Amino acid sequence: MPLAVIVRRAHAATVEHLQTDPATLDALAEVVLPAAALGRAGIAKATKAFRDWGAGYRENAELVHGYGTSRLRATGPTPLTRWAKQLDDLDAAAQSAYRKPFRTIAAAERAAIVRAALAGQRLDRMPGVGDASHVALALLAHFYETSDAADLCYEAQIGKNQCRPLAASPRKPLPLLKVSER
Amino acid sequence: MTRRAVESDVCIVGSGISAAMVAERLARTTSASIVVVEAGDETVPLAERPAMRDRAMRYGENPWGRDHLDGYEVEGPLQSRSMQVGGLAMHWGGVTPRFSPEDFRQRSLFGVGTDWPISYEELDPFYQEAEEVMGVAGEQGPPALDPRGRPFPMPPISLTYNLEQLKSWVTKAGIAMWSQPSAKNSVPYGGRAQCCRNDTCSPICPIGAKYSPDFTWNALRRGGSLRLVPRTLVRRLVLDPTGKEISHAVAVDRDRPNDPVEFHAKLFVVAAGYTWSSHLLLLSAQRGAPNGIANSSGHVGKYLTGHRNVQGFVDLPLRLYPGMNEQHSLVTKQFMRLEAGRKYIRHDLRVWESSVGKTPRLVDDTGALMLGDAILDDWRKRTRTGTARVRAYYDVIPDRSSELTLDPSRKNAWGDPLPKLAFRDAPESAELRGPTEDSIRSLFAAMAKAGDGKVLRTSVDNFQDHPAGGCRMGSEPSTSVVDSWGRSHDHANLFVVGAPTSVSGSCANATLTFCALALRSAHELERALPKRGGAGS
Repeated sequence: MPLAVIVRRAHAATVEHLQTDPATLDALAEVVLPAAALGRAGIAKATKAFRDWGAGYRENAELVHGYGTSRLRATGPTPLTRWAKQLDDLDAAAQSAYRKPFRTIAAAERAAIVRAALAGQRLDRMPGVGDASHVALALLAHFYETSDAADLCYEAQIGKNQCRPLAASPRKPLPLLKVSER
Repeated sequence: MTRRAVESDVCIVGSGISAAMVAERLARTTSASIVVVEAGDETVPLAERPAMRDRAMRYGENPWGRDHLDGYEVEGPLQSRSMQVGGLAMHWGGVTPRFSPEDFRQRSLFGVGTDWPISYEELDPFYQEAEEVMGVAGEQGPPALDPRGRPFPMPPISLTYNLEQLKSWVTKAGIAMWSQPSAKNSVPYGGRAQCCRNDTCSPICPIGAKYSPDFTWNALRRGGSLRLVPRTLVRRLVLDPTGKEISHAVAVDRDRPNDPVEFHAKLFVVAAGYTWSSHLLLLSAQRGAPNGIANSSGHVGKYLTGHRNVQGFVDLPLRLYPGMNEQHSLVTKQFMRLEAGRKYIRHDLRVWESSVGKTPRLVDDTGALMLGDAILDDWRKRTRTGTARVRAYYDVIPDRSSELTLDPSRKNAWGDPLPKLAFRDAPESAELRGPTEDSIRSLFAAMAKAGDGKVLRTSVDNFQDHPAGGCRMGSEPSTSVVDSWGRSHDHANLFVVGAPTSVSGSCANATLTFCALALRSAHELERALPKRGGAGS
């Protein structure tokens, strides 16, 4: 069987696994994303968007051309299979330390396992989602590049990269609604 | 093998923005039959652009499909690999400043570079026409800085709250800035939608509020005004037996590569940008033109020009909200207007909102990893002040050896040598480089000080943006390729239009100037063609 077919099947299997059994990913999201600011619904929205991102990933797709060069670049291998392995590793670490799956241990215990997993990783900047060396970093990178994240930071309805009336642009962005009001 | 021939009054090689200007004008004012030949594919239809934008934003994918020819990796700084119906202007930023009067008289006023054979005043009506064809939204700057004959066709793109704050800041620094003119609809225009700040003008506007040449091509094709032949690469222009005129163009149909196509026309317009125009003329070397078509002067491919930039980021005690319309900016020509006889240090200046230095991070100041709400809290603290992006383009006076040549070591699929590009400063420009960049950095520092801010960092981009030249215009056939109308000095029925005819690159985005030059060429072309509605049409 050609390698490309094997890779495509592994990618598809991981997508399906993350859709049908997202508990470890959700448990990871609760400790790496701003849970207090997002609320339970916000976390669920962020993890769903992340899973959708993974499902839509295409290998070897041509990237936006750079200016000043004739070199073409393409997307790399699917990061999903790597991330699935890392989720399994988090689970294994939880089993080893607490004899429980990652999804059921306390948030502080999960955070400790994530910190251990990220020890030695390059953390000097938020990576690109697909380039992230660890699923925890990918989840963070995916969330923090969204319009929602920017609005949350500035506590204002900026709506970055959304279609918005030109006439409203001179006005200071309206305050963001609190989680309970959204 | 079947040889096919296509006849027309006018054959335009290339379908980028300059070609669109010429074709639109000729279709509007003449009854000439027009054929446009494009090497690349059809572009992505407007209806598909929202989805393509989505993938570009999520995955960084090229939103323009297969917009290149395989095997075209060239040596040197190619502006873009794009080759498709609409050309590079499918993904341009839509920024449309004019050059300033000084650009056309560098030698006379400052003793550097080369004067153009036309003045700003002569080009003004063609600037206006280009602005009206594509739809430019602009704010009239102070007339002394920003001369123009007539008002912009559309009101300006309104300044965001952020840009209003930044305008107050630069005013304190003594700089008059205004809304950057842009080919983006501040109101519905030309049957296209009003801009709604999707803020991805480059690489892709999902709603067609930004002008791109496909709108012109679609309208002209719907009206039956011309025939556009995509996926067909013109490989040679062939002289007639007298050697004085172009007889036809030889092309390869990428879908039927074994059946050569010839395009026969009364007039030929090479509108293939700064790279592929010179490349085609050089490839067309033949008996009677041993160094290439239109190249008796040896200047085809020479004097490639453009502008570098110095960019900086300034931290300011302002609460800004990045993302309101990041691709729109303030602009001034205050530093472009220079008194005659002064040392030639000129540049534009633009100011944008920015998030540089204010993006979320993973570790705190001690290097400790943050997780959960700590990242957001840290981000909030660091965004209590704002960042301005400041950038100044300065023009590079090209050396003759700033050139495009044929590269014998790299060939395309049809065996033709690819171009090789090298940009080189003229000695006088090399001498000015240090003082110019120092002057710009000093300006950034003074601006920061006026706003109680600090310059976070500056950098110089060595790439010469908005590249042009290669077939420069001039009155003297021994030192130029075409006259001020873009007509080849060597061949009366051959025009080169737009970017390649530029003598210098100015210090502002150049696309509007390329369009104005192309329209001026179109006015000359139409004199040789039957008028629309007139006798013989």
